[in-house]
Amino acid sequence: MLKIDHILGLATEPAIAEALHDLEHRGAVEYLVLSPADTQRHRLRALTDRGTECAIALPRAQQLANGAVLLLERSRAIVVRMSEVEWLALEPRDAAAALELGYCAGNMHWKVEFAGARLRIALQGPADTYLERLSQLMRDGRVTVERAGA
Amino acid sequence: MSPLAQAPTRGAHLGAARVGIGGPVGSGKTALLERLIPRFRARGTNIAVITNDLVTREDAERVQRSGLIDPARVLAVETGACPHTAIREDPTLNLQAADALEAQFGPLDLILIESGGDNLASTFSLDLVDYWLFVIDTAGGDDIPRKKGLGIVQCDLLVINKVDLAPYVRVDVERMVREGGQVRRGRPILLTNCHSGEGVDAVVEHIAADVLFDR
Repeated sequence: MLKIDHILGLATEPAIAEALHDLEHRGAVEYLVLSPADTQRHRLRALTDRGTECAIALPRAQQLANGAVLLLERSRAIVVRMSEVEWLALEPRDAAAALELGYCAGNMHWKVEFAGARLRIALQGPADTYLERLSQLMRDGRVTVERAGA
Repeated sequence: MSPLAQAPTRGAHLGAARVGIGGPVGSGKTALLERLIPRFRARGTNIAVITNDLVTREDAERVQRSGLIDPARVLAVETGACPHTAIREDPTLNLQAADALEAQFGPLDLILIESGGDNLASTFSLDLVDYWLFVIDTAGGDDIPRKKGLGIVQCDLLVINKVDLAPYVRVDVERMVREGGQVRRGRPILLTNCHSGEGVDAVVEHIAADVLFDR
């Protein structure tokens, strides 16, 4: 288990980028893929794409982010790669359905963004879980799924 | 962000792990807290506690009177009408309480933050905690896990308490575990009887393994 107690910097910083570039050529960069929710944590255990177990405990003032460099050695580096947010795009049939959909999303404390006539929900779990909660609205066509993962 | 500027001094304390304990009223969150405190203390974990109550300090006073911990290490947050707001939408009061405990008693290893949710949907903000438990109990009915409340689905560790009461309330614990496992897609579930302490050691082990690392 590799203990990480601070973030060295971001992969885009010139000095770090140069070192990473060299390590990448040698196939020596490991990626720690985290969900957007997990990047909020200050302590967690996770495996890199090559199976290195990391025990991360960060100071409260630091925050995991896409490109955060956790380890940078001559022979190896570990970089955080944040998985993309999956979106569920929903289109209400009319204003009445939009009101109901907005109420439902707020009631469930879902993270959303507005996209014209659509409501996009940032998925924090399987889409099925969200669709189940919307089943009444979808059953009679008041709300339709535009596309998942869009 | 300069690499060197971000590196803490060797041996510097990183701040306590912050662990939330949520769940419906009466499920046994405070009882679990009372069982966890002596176990962590026995492991040498430097610990403090925050409790969230609606408009009283009842839970904090119960823990303060317990004799399990220095009463000054237990802070109460009065949440007003919406308990989940103080642990999710705006956790400022709890963040301030945690910072105050670290300032007064630090370096702390662990701060347990207990909050009574008003339903199965309460969840913790990961801005506030690093890891959180959700406590339900057999006497609430064996249909609770399959209702897919956000707390049950999203928590890091689901605790089903009062397993000793299951026969008296005609609850099938195995079914609760099976259906809980389905809605949680295999994430951990533990059974406890916080009256006797049965199962609590496993809760300690999970917390220690997942956020304390060295204990």
